[in-house]
Amino acid sequence: MSDHSIQPGLVVRDVSFAYPGGLPVLNRVSLRVAGGEVGAVMGGSGSGKTTLLRLIAGLERPASGRIEIDDLPVCTDRICLKPDHRGVGLVFQEHAVFPHLSVSQNVGFALRKRSSSDRLVSVRRLLSRFQLSDFEDSMPHQLSGGQLQRVAIARALASNPRVMLLDEPFSSLDEDLRESLANMLFPILRERGTATVLVTHDGDDARRFANSLTRLDSRAEPRGADS
Amino acid sequence: MSPRDGDPPEHHTQVGRPEAQLPATQQPSVEIAAGGRNQLRSKQAKTGGWLWFAGCLVCAVVIASPLAVVIASLLHDSGGAWQHLVETRLSSYALNTAILVTGVCALSLALGVVPAWFVARFDFPGRPVLAWALVLPLAVPSYVAAYAVTDLLQFSGPIQTSLRSLTGWTAGEYWFPSARSLGGAIVILASTLYPYVYIASRIAFGGQCAAMSEAGRTLGLSSNGVLIRIALPLARPAIAAATMLVAMETIADFGAVEYCAVDTLTTGVYRAWFGLDSQVAAAQLSTLIVAIAVCLVAVEAVLRRRQRHYNTTSRCARDYRSTIAGWRGVALCAVCVLPVSLGFVIPVSRLVYLTREMPDPEGLGLVLRYGQNSLLLAVASGSIAAGVALVVVCAHRIRRQRASYIAKLVCRFGYALPGPVIAIGVLMLAASIDRWTHSAWRSVDGPLPTHQLGRTLTDLLFAYQSRFSGIAIGIIDGSMRSIGRSLDDSARSLGLSATGVVLRIHAPLVRRALLGGALLVFVDVVKELPATLMLRPFNFDTLAVRVYQLASEERLGEAATAALAIIAVGILPMVLVSREIDRGR
Repeated sequence: MSDHSIQPGLVVRDVSFAYPGGLPVLNRVSLRVAGGEVGAVMGGSGSGKTTLLRLIAGLERPASGRIEIDDLPVCTDRICLKPDHRGVGLVFQEHAVFPHLSVSQNVGFALRKRSSSDRLVSVRRLLSRFQLSDFEDSMPHQLSGGQLQRVAIARALASNPRVMLLDEPFSSLDEDLRESLANMLFPILRERGTATVLVTHDGDDARRFANSLTRLDSRAEPRGADS
Repeated sequence: MSPRDGDPPEHHTQVGRPEAQLPATQQPSVEIAAGGRNQLRSKQAKTGGWLWFAGCLVCAVVIASPLAVVIASLLHDSGGAWQHLVETRLSSYALNTAILVTGVCALSLALGVVPAWFVARFDFPGRPVLAWALVLPLAVPSYVAAYAVTDLLQFSGPIQTSLRSLTGWTAGEYWFPSARSLGGAIVILASTLYPYVYIASRIAFGGQCAAMSEAGRTLGLSSNGVLIRIALPLARPAIAAATMLVAMETIADFGAVEYCAVDTLTTGVYRAWFGLDSQVAAAQLSTLIVAIAVCLVAVEAVLRRRQRHYNTTSRCARDYRSTIAGWRGVALCAVCVLPVSLGFVIPVSRLVYLTREMPDPEGLGLVLRYGQNSLLLAVASGSIAAGVALVVVCAHRIRRQRASYIAKLVCRFGYALPGPVIAIGVLMLAASIDRWTHSAWRSVDGPLPTHQLGRTLTDLLFAYQSRFSGIAIGIIDGSMRSIGRSLDDSARSLGLSATGVVLRIHAPLVRRALLGGALLVFVDVVKELPATLMLRPFNFDTLAVRVYQLASEERLGEAATAALAIIAVGILPMVLVSREIDRGR
């Protein structure tokens, strides 16, 4: 782990955000997660955990602050890269698996520019790692909640993102499933040196899986990274 | 792996809370009383369930009987009329129908999907008004649009007259598109039918989870990529099902294609009846339309079933609208204005002009008299259809048997059939019943009964139920599906009979759908032309018949007042429908 901690990763510096016409959601939030490490983010409802992930992913633009990935600025006061140019993987709480595509098409979605044979090899490798090989041609409505979440994670991993954002990925799973899914996911992320942000409500999850913890409070008070 | 610091604090949450206790002394008496009632009511529940089931079967048999008569006509001899049709006109009827349906569906897709995407995903100048205005063309019967557009584009119309006066051209020196052509019919029908596609697309786009498009963005898609690779494929079943509805309406259309001089299978039925004077040939031609309708309904049902699988996330935030200002906002507005102009603004403004220039010679009083007839039929049909729909939908909800499911499907099928097909079925059925009653009376030497059926108000109401009750059933069924079955179980466990569950739980919860279904049937009956034309009693004309009669005598100006009255009746429900969609979003 110490090897990875020196790798560049994700840096969020003094980021603030408010929805149009609304109260500030984030006020000068800072966060640093090195490559291969997991930074947990906790906070009550409305504290801006998901918003923070959306800002890192490029789905929202911060009012101020700076976001860097592997020492490269992806969002500053002057420029902000679009989500498709950031190399960030995002796993949603509600998995957001595309219902019109099969499992293998979902997992290979980010690899569509590769040749079909190359894509198939990568997809099958991921399906195998997430114990989804038997469901390669299944449609999402034929899968259970745990299987859907594995598909969503495999899909986000397929493009080998530099930063992985996990928005309460285990919240709808029972204890056994979350343990087994975590055991599949985190070793891969460590192996690849991916900086990971894990949003969770669960203190146990944060303690077990994360190297650092950032707490957000719902009053948008200025917070620094705890890590 | 262990965290370096920042361990979350220990939380000591109370897992459960003590349940409220009833005073012990009250419990036994409550149980005994409830147990007694439950025993009594369980017997009522069984009876009530059967009553609803029987009612559902009766509704299905009655509604489907005209269709059964039409299909049975295949066994009859048409006396050479069918052979004549096959040898002379059938191929052109079929070809025209195929071209018309393809063209109308393609144009409706273009006019419906693009504005729906803009309205669902962007805020631009004029969006709040356009969001509901785009539904308005549904209030304009296609034959009324055909009359107005033809009047506008004809040689003596304002556009060609202005063109000639500006250029100095004379007749024959220039080409001008004719509304009375296959192309004209395609544009006219698409401009009044595209709202089906618009409504379905808007609901589908508006209901998509933000997470879907956001996942697409983080997986490397641009905004356009999200539309093409995620939003459109997700909406495809809904859009395709709506396109099937457009196809059904196009095949069923009589007034517009007849006025545009396009021979289709539906106008062929009318001509076989009145031109060849052959009921049997008309009915046999109708079976061909029935076969096409069966295919369309089957495809639509499959697509709707697939749509259910397209929402795998039970809780999700809806996609938000981005603001588009400046010239790009104006461009979006212009794209949305085009279909409204084609299907509503142009025909209605022409009709308003014609009403002012050449009002109906028989005065507003006569229009009101026709309106009274239309309203009488529409109110009666809307109320009956809502009642029928409640019986059919609730019966299936209670019994959940294959028979009740098939009965529901049969009842919905009538909507796919053209008015003339239903009318022929009703007339042939009436004639059969007449013959049967006469022979029955003769066998007992009783006095011959007076002629009860055939071109009576009963026939007309019967035909409307066959044709339109499917609309009310569809709406109420959709609303009923959103009610969890646990409510039924809970009500039954509290001692309600099946009828009690329907009257005290289902009916209040679906009351808006009941009203909406009745309202849509009401509007469709006011607009309905061919069945009314064929089945109306002597000296009983409606607004639609009045418009048709004047327009077929080329007295378009005089027809405009009644045409505007039909449109006025249809506007309010369309606005309500549009507001409902906005609220749903």
